[in-house]
Amino acid sequence: MPENSEEARSEQDVAIDDAELIGLFAGHGIDRDSAAHFRGRLERRLVIHRCDDCAHWHHPPRPMCPACWSWNITPTEVSGRGTIHLLMTLHQGVPAPGVDYAAGHPVLTVELDEQSALRFTATATPDFPADQLEIGTRVELDWIDRDGTPTPAFRIGTGA
Amino acid sequence: MTDRSPMKDQVAIVGLGSTGFTRAGNRSPLAMALAAATEAIADAGLTAADIDGVVATSEPAAKGSEEIAAALGIAAATHHTKPSPVAMFSILDAARAVFSGAADHVLVVTPVVMGPWNSRQAAGDPWRRGTRSGILPNPDDATMAAAYAAWASRYIHEYGASKDPFARIAINSRTNAADNPLAAMTEPLSFGMYDAGRMVRDPLNVFDMDLPVDGADAFVLTTAERADALPHQPVLIHAATTGIVGKNDEDQLTTLGRTGQHVVVEQLRRTSDIWIDDVDLFYPYEGFTIITLAWFENCGFCPPGGAEAFLREHWNDDTNRIEINGRVPVNTHGGSLSEGATRGTGHIREAVHQLRGTAGSRQVEGAESALITPGGFFFNPQGAVLRRG
Ligand SMILES: [Zn+2]
Repeated sequence: MPENSEEARSEQDVAIDDAELIGLFAGHGIDRDSAAHFRGRLERRLVIHRCDDCAHWHHPPRPMCPACWSWNITPTEVSGRGTIHLLMTLHQGVPAPGVDYAAGHPVLTVELDEQSALRFTATATPDFPADQLEIGTRVELDWIDRDGTPTPAFRIGTGA
Repeated sequence: MTDRSPMKDQVAIVGLGSTGFTRAGNRSPLAMALAAATEAIADAGLTAADIDGVVATSEPAAKGSEEIAAALGIAAATHHTKPSPVAMFSILDAARAVFSGAADHVLVVTPVVMGPWNSRQAAGDPWRRGTRSGILPNPDDATMAAAYAAWASRYIHEYGASKDPFARIAINSRTNAADNPLAAMTEPLSFGMYDAGRMVRDPLNVFDMDLPVDGADAFVLTTAERADALPHQPVLIHAATTGIVGKNDEDQLTTLGRTGQHVVVEQLRRTSDIWIDDVDLFYPYEGFTIITLAWFENCGFCPPGGAEAFLREHWNDDTNRIEINGRVPVNTHGGSLSEGATRGTGHIREAVHQLRGTAGSRQVEGAESALITPGGFFFNPQGAVLRRG
């Protein structure tokens, strides 16, 4: 039986109500299935869907495991460690606080250590060394503030 | 995967209409759709009374099939749909309607518009300001258009590629557009101009990205049998397919070595009697130049990562364009980069013109078959082999 996603969320510490959450992340296409992921962001935790039955991670968040069709999905915090897999610098895009397209806005797709080809895309921290911003560089999750909303960003990795 | 192909050569494209494409449009999407539609129906030697199927591509700001039918004064239609953008979804939908007997003469109409999401000029136009593309405003995403820049970085990293093959795709399209009266951008493009192009999403610059335009294409499809009685040389759909892999979220795609393009190519090879050694024309999509490099490689013209060497080897310095084995031209209309961002309808229209002998100054003598591969990497790869009937 499909688990009710409302119930799945009920154990989470719910600091704000759904309407407020939706308002904060409307631009990200938030829905019932991704609510736990975005609630995690408000606590500066990167939460990815993981299957209780086969341990498979998947992203973006969906209600059922694509590997085994289990509905027993637990949004689970990841280490945030990984390796840059894709990298671009945007010189135009939607206006956002603190995003300077004139200088170039880096967007990194990071392959997370938890599972092969499990990836998360975010920007880089402002202090990321420009000469190490390249595919293959080890990174760690950090958080920046964008208009008061915690926003994931990757900083240079400190170790293996 | 199926190797059945009962539709092979059974459906023909018999009518073409196009407004041409412009960066300075002042007509509504409906007006452009109707101009192309009426031209296509007349080109097929038919009238509104003959049309019993309407396929209206769900482009931003486009009207649905019911409104197209109303505006055209269609008496009744037994097939009416609104497929996703990118050309083959609509062409295949129409072909399958004809083949199944759902309708006899199916109109396909696809208007494209410049919108606030892809044009600063459009953002300042009050008639366009409210137009939505459905693209979500998040600066940190590698989705939609941005995904192509992201994966271009991976391609360059994995193969040590330079920007030279990207430039050749852009220059080839511009060279060919010069001979196409429908094209929006015909000023010659040099390697120097390409290199100096404004960087938009590094590693892709403005010349690597398709050209937002206003305009519309329309097609009429019917059975091969009925086509024989109509004015033009019929062009048959020999093989056609769409394809995806399951793991197709842009940033989760496992590798460029296994995308929907591979699925499309495998299906075409199972169902087509004609392949790359036989075709006279090649229309690989170039909504972004990286897509085109992948189509060359995935269709088997060259190995993965081999597009740079292949395009250099098959470049004609005199004509300033790609000519495969000195014989097969590529995107003879100027493609999405220079004719305009039709999302593949231009590629199909041009192939039909070439195969029926109505391509004017661009006519490739004796062209009998064309390979067309619209779409990108993720949710819209598609392909077709068309041949003269
Ligand atoms: Zn599972």
